[in-house]
Amino acid sequence: MASEERQKEILEKLKQAVIQYDEDQAKEAAQEALELEGLKANDAIFNGLVVGMQEVGRLFEAQEYFVPELLMCADALYAGLEILKPHVEELDLGVKGSVVIGTVEGDVHDIGKNIVKMMFDVAGFTVYDLGRDVPLDKFVEEQLRTDSDLLCLSAMMTTTMTGMQKVIDDIRKKNPKVKIMIGGAPVSKDVAQKYGADGYAADATNALADAIKMIGSLKDLKDEAEGKKK
Amino acid sequence: MAETMTSRERVLRVFRREETDRPACFSGMGNVTTEGLSKLGYQFAKVHQDARMMAETAASTPKLFGYDCCILPFDLAVEAEALGAVMNTYPDSADILYPTIKEKVIHSPEEMETLHVPADLVERGRVPLMREAIGLARKELGETVPVGSYVLGPFTLAGQIMELNDLLKLSFKKPDKVSKLLEDLTCVIVAVAREYEKAGVDYLCVREMGATSDVLSPRAFKSLILPHLKNIFKALSVPSVIHICGKTNDIVPFMVESGATAISVDQKNDIVETRKKLGPEAIIFGNFDPYNVLVAGTPEQVRETIRKCLDSGVSAVWPGCDIWPTVPPDNFNAMMDEVRKYRR
Ligand code: B12
Repeated sequence: MASEERQKEILEKLKQAVIQYDEDQAKEAAQEALELEGLKANDAIFNGLVVGMQEVGRLFEAQEYFVPELLMCADALYAGLEILKPHVEELDLGVKGSVVIGTVEGDVHDIGKNIVKMMFDVAGFTVYDLGRDVPLDKFVEEQLRTDSDLLCLSAMMTTTMTGMQKVIDDIRKKNPKVKIMIGGAPVSKDVAQKYGADGYAADATNALADAIKMIGSLKDLKDEAEGKKK
Repeated sequence: MAETMTSRERVLRVFRREETDRPACFSGMGNVTTEGLSKLGYQFAKVHQDARMMAETAASTPKLFGYDCCILPFDLAVEAEALGAVMNTYPDSADILYPTIKEKVIHSPEEMETLHVPADLVERGRVPLMREAIGLARKELGETVPVGSYVLGPFTLAGQIMELNDLLKLSFKKPDKVSKLLEDLTCVIVAVAREYEKAGVDYLCVREMGATSDVLSPRAFKSLILPHLKNIFKALSVPSVIHICGKTNDIVPFMVESGATAISVDQKNDIVETRKKLGPEAIIFGNFDPYNVLVAGTPEQVRETIRKCLDSGVSAVWPGCDIWPTVPPDNFNAMMDEVRKYRR
């Protein structure tokens, strides 16, 4: 079937646009995807753009791509996403999550945080990015305001890392059900456990995978609770 | 073995590739300790903006521990401030928070081309304070301890005065535009460095950690960063060091090519390999983890690490970054004791 061929072609074009950080091609391919009957926007995103981004992640780990390349690939991906997203019937990975993310007070290292944020964007999360050097109270405030499923804290220095503990203690008191994930170079699994975080990941890909798992369990709990009520 | 040289003699000899009584143990990056701060009764947030407090704090580390240098300042904002950026010292924090830039100078990629470098740059921000502090530190330590300082590399400075995300993308998309900015910043860096030289520093370190291979490709380092570094080192007259932390194994040849007297790398560098690559003449400083070993380790782990650095072929023991203030005195002492005992 010609249309099936064409579908493949467009998906490949979307994927390559991301890998080759070609914003124009991403837009063009996204348009073509919308015009082709039978190709859902959802598929174009997940079997085109996201597949491309996965490859980019691999190239980054293999040190063929560096941070500038990664950021440009993300721009291409966002360009395609912007066109496709309004046409998505339901964006569903099994979970649809929201996340508040930022680098803690006293710390301006935000390259890593931005990469993690991008992965959440890619996966269709609603992302509230508070930026860098974020006052500790602000994390708590914003989480409560947005009622996000997830709170992500990044720190690149051993001193600012201790600020995470304060945020975690504070938010646990006010909202025990939110899932908290921490990361950054000095953070380890042990630190995460000691601070009482729910999750830790060494890099952006693992961060996303863990986040999806955590939110999944959160939703199960909710469903269960609601099921019981009924 | 008794020490027969002063720290200053020892360090200056290292830069000339001459024999020393024992391995030098020093740095070109900050060495504030909470031990020194509390002895002086100073709050960390206050020592950045007062020449006397800065000089005393910097001098406390060699005085307390016999460390082979005195380094000032402690933050990375001097050049950016002279260009008009605004610094946050976290005055209300009792914790050790390092100053950050809260207000940048370039707010959009367009403004890169219209960066205004004030004619009286070296009279702005804390440059005059730095001159004074260097002079005071010199006076306080006499001829026994070398006084060093650092400036930022052009790429790292660019990241301080504009949004780093934009800089990173443009360094790929519009390298010419970025290169032009780095050229302007090179002039700024040289002007500031010359002031430090006039004030009496014994050596200078250029910190270009923004261009680490954790972030930027070795290819981009060579084509975009290296030409400007060369211009900086050509203009300096005191011994100089190029410092880059994180992944550096692939760029050490370029670091040498920059023209710096010595190169400085952190614990992520494989020194044995680097030494093999660069040969016996290269002056290589490194490469212990200033937090995980010096602060979080035991004295025995510190000793082991110092021995390992020396066994792998560093020219002087030197931390991978700023010494982290909360270093336990026992660990600092263990480090110094180990370099005194070391036999090659
Ligand atoms: C670039 C850099 C800077 C830039 C930062 C620019 C910016 N906007 O980010 C500048 C020049 C401004 C800078 C300043 C300073 N720096 Co600095 N810097 C670095 C450097 C070289 C690279 C960091 C980086 O971006 N890595 C690349 C990214 C992709 O990796 P990443 O951040 O680890 O992120 C990944 C993971 O950690 C994880 N992750 C990150 N966040 C999160 C969050 C969550 C929730 C999860 C799940 C995962 C996750 O996923 C990411 C993607 O894979 C490191 C050394 C190094 N090579 O690591 C030092 C380093 C972080 N800096 C250090 C220091 C000491 C400083 C200064 C204090 C120096 C000074 N004297 O002022 C100042 C700090 C100012 C301040 N108060 O914040 C030390 C920290 C030491 C310590 N243990 O505390 C380091 C480790 C250098 C060293 N070798 O010691 N720095």
